[in-house]
Parts: sequence; C-alpha cells; structure tokens
Amino acid sequence: MMVIADNYQFNFKTALSAFVFDEKTKSSPYFHGVPMKAVDVIAEFEDSYLFIEIKDYDNPAEFEIPGKADSSIKGCDHFNWLRNYLKYKFRDSLLYRYAENKVDKPIHYLCLLNFDNALNNHMRKELRKELPVGKASNRWSKKLAESCQVIDEHAWRRNFPTWELTRIP
Amino acid sequence: MLEKIRLNNFTAFDETEVQFSRGINIFIGENSTGKTHVLKSLYASCDITESNKSFAEKLNNVFYPTAKNIGRLVHRGQENNASLEIFRFIKPGQKAISLRVSFSSSTSKPEKSTISGSTKLWQEFPVRSVYIPVKDMLANATGFRSMVSLRHLHFEEVYNDIIDRAFLPALKENGDKVRSQLLESLQQSMDGKVIIKGEELFLKNKTGELEFTLLAEGYRKIGLLWLLIQNGILSSGNVLFWDEPETNLNPKLMRLVVNVLIELQRIGVQIFIATHDYVMLKEFELATNHSDKILYHAFYRDAHNHLAVNTVEQFDNLSPNAIDETFGTLIDRQIVKEMGGLGK
Repeated sequence: MMVIADNYQFNFKTALSAFVFDEKTKSSPYFHGVPMKAVDVIAEFEDSYLFIEIKDYDNPAEFEIPGKADSSIKGCDHFNWLRNYLKYKFRDSLLYRYAENKVDKPIHYLCLLNFDNALNNHMRKELRKELPVGKASNRWSKKLAESCQVIDEHAWRRNFPTWELTRIP
Repeated sequence: MLEKIRLNNFTAFDETEVQFSRGINIFIGENSTGKTHVLKSLYASCDITESNKSFAEKLNNVFYPTAKNIGRLVHRGQENNASLEIFRFIKPGQKAISLRVSFSSSTSKPEKSTISGSTKLWQEFPVRSVYIPVKDMLANATGFRSMVSLRHLHFEEVYNDIIDRAFLPALKENGDKVRSQLLESLQQSMDGKVIIKGEELFLKNKTGELEFTLLAEGYRKIGLLWLLIQNGILSSGNVLFWDEPETNLNPKLMRLVVNVLIELQRIGVQIFIATHDYVMLKEFELATNHSDKILYHAFYRDAHNHLAVNTVEQFDNLSPNAIDETFGTLIDRQIVKEMGGLGK
C-alpha cells in the first residue's frame, strides 16, 4: 500500500490501510477537514497503528516560531518548538482518531527527522515524557502511545525493512 | 604549519595520506584506527626542531616499541619497509618542505634509519609544539623527571615532555588581550591559579593552596591548559596535539575547553585533537563560524580492513562517524525493545 507525503514514498505491504492523514483534498475519502493538527501519515496493521510525522530540519520555512525575530531564535528554541509541535500533532491526531472510533489497537508514533542520531535520541526521550508514552498515571487503564521513535531515514530502513521508504527527489 | 602526512606501511597503516587544516584538526574513529599514531608522528616531527634529536630517535621514543626496536613500527603485513613523510610550510606562500624517515622491519636502531627530505631547512625553522597525552601526569610530576633522567623507565617520552612543557616559567605580561582573557576564563572555571613549588603543582585561591593530587582530574586539565597559555607554549605559530581532551572532563567544562581551543586557533595555533566525544564535536560545530579553519578527519577500516582517512569540512558530512553510529545502534536497540518485530 503506497503513500506519498513530504517528499517520501512509503510502501506498507502488509497494511490494512495507509493514507495521508492531513489530506487537504475535499474529494478524498481521507479528507481531514477539521481545524486540528494532524500527523502526515497513518497506517493500520492487524495489531497496531502507526502515526508518522515527517519534519525536515534543514528547511527554515518549517520552523516559523511566532513572535520571534530570526536573530533571536536560538537552537534550544527550535528544539523546544519542534518537541511541542510533534507532541500536539500526536495528541490532536489521537483525538481525531478517537472520534473516528479508531484507537482500538496500540499506537506507535514514528517521527522521521533529519537530526543526527544523538539529537534524535534526545528528542525521543523528551517526547516520551511529553506525549506521554505508556501508562503515565495509575488511574489510566489505557496507553495513549505504545511507543515513540525519532529516527532518520537510514534508521528507518535499517529497522523497518518491510515498510519501504523512498525519498522522492 | 603542518600541511600533510604520508604514511606508508607505518604502524597500522598501509598507504595513507592526510591533508590538514592550518587551524583545527579533529580526528574521529574507533579504537585502533591510528589516530594517536598520527598525532605522535606529527608531534615527533615538530619536537625535533627544538630538541635537535633525530626524527627516527624521537619517533622511537614517543612510540616506545619493545626494546626500542624501531623495526617494530613497520606494519605487520607483507612489506618489510616503512616510511613516514611529513610536510610543513615554513613561510606563507612558499611550497611546503618535507621530512621523511624510512626503515625496515630488520632495522633495530633508529640511527640506522634513513632520513631524507629538507632536513636542514626543517631544523632551521623551529616550531614549538606540545603533546597532551590521555593520562594526566601533572599530579605525579614530583620526582618523575629526575627519575627519567637517571633510569630506563618504560614510559613513552610524551609523558616526560608534557611535564617539561608545563613547568616552563611564565611569560612576562605583554599586554596580549586574548591571552589575558583566556587565562581569566580558565581561572574562573577552576576558581584559582596554578602555582609551581619545586616539582609540585598547586591550585591557589582565596581558601589556600590545594595540591594537584587532591584536585579533580578535570580541573587538572584546565590547569594544564592555563599553564601552557601562561608560559607561551600555546601561542601563535605553535602546534597543540591533544589526545582525547574529554577524558575526565565534565561535559559542562567541554564548552569552555572548546571555546579556548577555537580562540587559540584564531590567534594562529595549529591544533590536532583526537576524540570519541559527541559533546565535544557538537560544541565545535556550534562555536565555530565560517572564518574558522576546521577539518574533521574520520579514521576507519575499509572493506579490506585497511586503515583509511576521510576528511571533510562539515561535521554533518563526516562519514563514517563512529560516534553517531554508536547512537544509531542505541536507537536500533530501543526500537527492537519497544516495537518487537514490527516492520521487520
């Protein structure tokens, strides 16, 4: 099942469904149409869902931090902005899928970023706390997210060989 | 200024050439990829311009093969002959001159090696250098130098050399603002100045004098840097070799050390460091600007298990990057732990 989003083509051969979640074409059966944040791609498998968000750190247009002149933006501002951005994308998408009655399986959140591995590791650690991953409270009987991984395309290919990923030039 | 090194069948290398930056050179690679060997070779070539030893003898002293048999520095492969050639600029705009040493696996004594190239010019233009080894020697300086002068101690000469350099008396104040600022920032971080009493070092501040043996190893490194700036070893035209500066250094002190190294480069010190540390590399990436001269050299074994070096200007382009690959394997293991066989 092929999906194209943000200069990447995914091929999920064993998926039950896979689609661009923030679809803007009204005629599409997957048209999002609600003023909520949305991850780029969702794929459904027999026993799990994937939420996939793609972010190109080298593209400054993707990092518009409101209320800050360019010269005052520091590296940590970018990092914190991105962490919050990824967090709310997940949470809004989760709410949307709840309303669709589509949160019946564990959800794995995969963020495809082009940081180096160390920074991706750091972002993963921060996001795990913020989403949060797992049962964050003793009162919870369900998890919001089963896992959260922040990886570059090389790590994607190493770890998910059957979910083919191709960069579109 | 050192321009390049050419290694042929020398120690772990088959045939390799590495071109250097006139500013900062950062060596990255797994253990046993020859980083320290290149540092020591370059250092030996600089040191002899002041110590007047022969290149082969100095090499033998800093590598210290068994029985000081220089033939053991020949690569243990099929070839029996090794050579090492180093190129340096002695005047701006002029062609680099070279110094070459060659020997065979049956050459036991350094004086039997062949030295060639611009040997006279090499000596006529001295270049001051310092090699900071991984192990701290300052706290154990007391008695070490006198012992070395009397006995055959099995220590590579870099350990004695660093003590000699550190114990040189301070330069007189010369109104050099950069030097004063660097000393001040180091003093602030270690909360004091280093003083020498006999053969012993102390950190002196308002509360008194603390002997180096009681001082945290990280601060000993800051203290050593302070001494080498104060006594002019680290000044324009000179060369610093530092093997794993991160050892025993709190990551928070890394920023200070990197900033000092960048400033030293800006005043004309050529710098060579070997590191395994991500924070240090990241600090260099963040603190340098487009006018700084920095090259990253990745040491690695190719598909045929031969040592090779890949040089790039941008840290992001470094490949192979042993440090980032290690973080990559951590990510892989986390994915397996949390997602099991999904996507496999």
